[in-house]
Amino acid sequence: LTIPFTSADWSAILPIEIVAGTALVVLFADLLSGRQQWRYLSIAIALAGVAAAAAIAGEQFGHAYDAFFGGFMTGGFATVFEEIVLIGTAGSLLLYGALGPAQRVAGTTAIMLWSACGAMLMAGAANLIAIFLGLELLSLGLYALCASVDRKSARESALKYLILSSMATGFLLFGSALLFGATGSVALADLVNPSLAGNPLFWLGAGMFLIGLLFKLSLVPFHMWTPDVFEGAPLPVTAFMSVVTKAGTLAVFARFTYAALPAGIGSKLLLPVWIVAAISMIAGNAGMLAQRDLKRLLGYSGIAQIGYILIAMAGSTPLGLRYAIYYLTAYAFMNLGAFAVAAAISGPGEEGAQLSNYQGLARRRPWLAAAMAIFLLALSGLPPTAGFLGKILILAVTVANGYVWLAAALIVGTAISLYAYAKVIRLMYAPEEGHRAQDAHPFVPLAWMSAALCAVVVVAMTFYPLTPSNVLPLVR
Amino acid sequence: MTLVLVTILLPVVTGALLFLLPRADRTISVAAGTIVAAITVGTLLAAGNGEWSVHWLSRPFDAALHFGATPISFWIALLLTLCTACAIAVCRVERTRDFVALLLTLEGTMLGLFLARDLLVFALFWDLMLVPVFFALIGWGEHPATAWRYFIYNFAGGLTLLLATAAFGVIYGTTDVIGRAGVPLIGGWAPWIYAGFAFAFLVKTPVFPLHTWMPPTYSGLPSPMVSVVSAVQSKAGLYGFLAIAAAFMPAYVHEYATPLMALGAISLIYGAVIALVQNDVKRIVAYSSLSHLGLIVIAIASQNQLALDGALVYIVAHGLFSAALFLLLGFVEEREESRGLLRLGGLGWQNPRLSGALCIAALAALGLPGLAGFVGELIILIGVYQAGYVWPVVVALVAIVLASAYLLRLYQGVMNGPERDDLPVRPDLTWLEGLAIAPLLAALVLVGVYPRPILIHTVGAVQSVPRP
Repeated sequence: LTIPFTSADWSAILPIEIVAGTALVVLFADLLSGRQQWRYLSIAIALAGVAAAAAIAGEQFGHAYDAFFGGFMTGGFATVFEEIVLIGTAGSLLLYGALGPAQRVAGTTAIMLWSACGAMLMAGAANLIAIFLGLELLSLGLYALCASVDRKSARESALKYLILSSMATGFLLFGSALLFGATGSVALADLVNPSLAGNPLFWLGAGMFLIGLLFKLSLVPFHMWTPDVFEGAPLPVTAFMSVVTKAGTLAVFARFTYAALPAGIGSKLLLPVWIVAAISMIAGNAGMLAQRDLKRLLGYSGIAQIGYILIAMAGSTPLGLRYAIYYLTAYAFMNLGAFAVAAAISGPGEEGAQLSNYQGLARRRPWLAAAMAIFLLALSGLPPTAGFLGKILILAVTVANGYVWLAAALIVGTAISLYAYAKVIRLMYAPEEGHRAQDAHPFVPLAWMSAALCAVVVVAMTFYPLTPSNVLPLVR
Repeated sequence: MTLVLVTILLPVVTGALLFLLPRADRTISVAAGTIVAAITVGTLLAAGNGEWSVHWLSRPFDAALHFGATPISFWIALLLTLCTACAIAVCRVERTRDFVALLLTLEGTMLGLFLARDLLVFALFWDLMLVPVFFALIGWGEHPATAWRYFIYNFAGGLTLLLATAAFGVIYGTTDVIGRAGVPLIGGWAPWIYAGFAFAFLVKTPVFPLHTWMPPTYSGLPSPMVSVVSAVQSKAGLYGFLAIAAAFMPAYVHEYATPLMALGAISLIYGAVIALVQNDVKRIVAYSSLSHLGLIVIAIASQNQLALDGALVYIVAHGLFSAALFLLLGFVEEREESRGLLRLGGLGWQNPRLSGALCIAALAALGLPGLAGFVGELIILIGVYQAGYVWPVVVALVAIVLASAYLLRLYQGVMNGPERDDLPVRPDLTWLEGLAIAPLLAALVLVGVYPRPILIHTVGAVQSVPRP
């Protein structure tokens, strides 16, 4: 038996290999540390691996290469999404530094890295098998991560995620099978065939495939699992899910809509997706209003934010993809920053995600409160943050593509969201009456650094809007 | 010319640096804040017509971080820096350091708005200037609901502005347009774009059905900040009408002039009537603001060159006298611990200086010849009449009579009448307070007798549509 893959194939997925290998090193180092559990060592090794992978993925930016017979495509598009996944992974790993020795950091770090491998695979996946492989690798790790603390709500979260995510995977798999039945090929490129328009297998398959993706992106009406899972899972895992899972799935969605749909079919097939995105922008933001827990709040917020990103792609213009990527990057930093502040406040027991803990934060921790205010302003789309610029870019591109109703839905959703975000700001800055929230943790350097970095990036991205210009040619 | 940039960044950076001071240090924060605000007056004057620009976006439309005063915005920016310096000098609220920092940030963001030469930058600062006021409302306001009302109304306006800006940019290809003579936008989505801008501007001004956020905001904010907000922030919408709507969508301003005028006229009368029956002194000035700004909306809707010139003079005049009124009533409130017109009375006997200052400010507000308010009102009325609109002039004349009534009622209720024995007796205007009020009153007289510089700058700067 000869393995038909060349060394070029293996070097195409070098970033993924590095991340996977780093996980093994983390475990081995943990073995050497014995009972002492050097959690900072685990985090340091993992971050080093992530940085190396990011550097190599960056090298691949200009080189388009079809590895594994078209299963994985390197180059601009894959690089950009891999970088976002790696940023999300690094940001989530940093939060483990805040959570104290109760967490089994080495093991969870390793699993998180392997999950990230799945998301990176999705970033470059160009056939149905690779997509499925990436999605499963990502999800399997997440089930374990959700249950990685000994807490009833975490176990509930893991089980809920397992069941609903399996259902989504089922849809995706069934859809893939039907698509394979329609074309006789697993390659996304073979879907670009106008004769498929009359084939019911194709429509059914593509529909189910998209439903699977929408489940993973947790858009309304497939969103019910998100707030519960977010609430129960440990903080770093919630941060990871809110950024990395979304980035990986969006990569698949973008590649599917931009590279795989036959000409003329896209606008018809995707119309329900835009409707779902419009509903998500409004319902997700409305869902935030009643929340008393920051993780739940950010869960609902994520539903709406993904809606913003999706509608940028309505009309499938290259510019739309650029702005979707810009907003996704900004979203990654806003969310990671908000979770970093949450971690710095909640401390080891993680009891601090209730919003009441933020009462009077500005007096106790002015800088942390200021950072949180920046993230909340960014999430609600106020300047001087990347959220503002991202929103106006998305508005401009949706209006230019003729989807004015989507722009209007974005405006309505944003108007609703303001109340929920500003409520937290008010809680932090209003003069305290009576109740004074307790501080579990005096100073959490890693989470603090992470929050500061994210705040700087979120503001800087407004004035230096780096959007990758030559991504689209590398999608196909 | 980087002086423009310095003018905008200096207050913001100083505001941020103030947080490094010890919390209790009131004097240093006030002194630093006043000095910085005074310096911005200087840098603004020195910057003159200088511009500063750097590329920002090239797609989906061209945008630049482009700043520089236009003949219109120069005067509003000057008003802003002057008002801020005066307001900070007399800041006596609790947690002074944080409050001064917010005031400086507010000044910086509003300077950014008025000096913006790019529509996208304008939209950015439009939203940004809400934030310091929101923080002031939650930290120092009287009622939490006020903060929500202010933020949500204005944010809704900001969102339609954002959507309109995006659409404008897509159609026009660039947003680097403010202060340039451009091709007017016509056809297609243009009426909707105008509607988006107009909604945002009308909420901010405010006019009648959209004004409900304004009275609680003005009466709830501490007087140093409300003097800046009412003097300058409320002008953002009017400035937007002059610099954006009238310059790039004159056809639609003209087409929808009658509804716009009707809104202005309703605000004019409604504000005046409500001001006549209010008992909270700050609310009286708030409603008088609604009334006065309605007149400017009428002037803009008439699109007559003379009326537009008058509008700019009146924008400056209203800024000066409303800042002075709010600051002075703030002094009264601090001394007597009350804002109720029925509770106050007879202060003039013990406080001649305070009484005199309030008298000048109130007279300017009711349009006494020789003071700034009169010049603006008169030129606007002549212009609007010239443009062929008679009924708004009649309405405005009625409102001007009402203005004398409520402003005299305000002055008499506070200063005249028998002395109330149960009110605390505090000293008259201190030299610092006097020094803070003097520039505003002096400017009122100056603009009143010599409005020429402001008028000359406007001529030709505002595109006007010939009357059919």
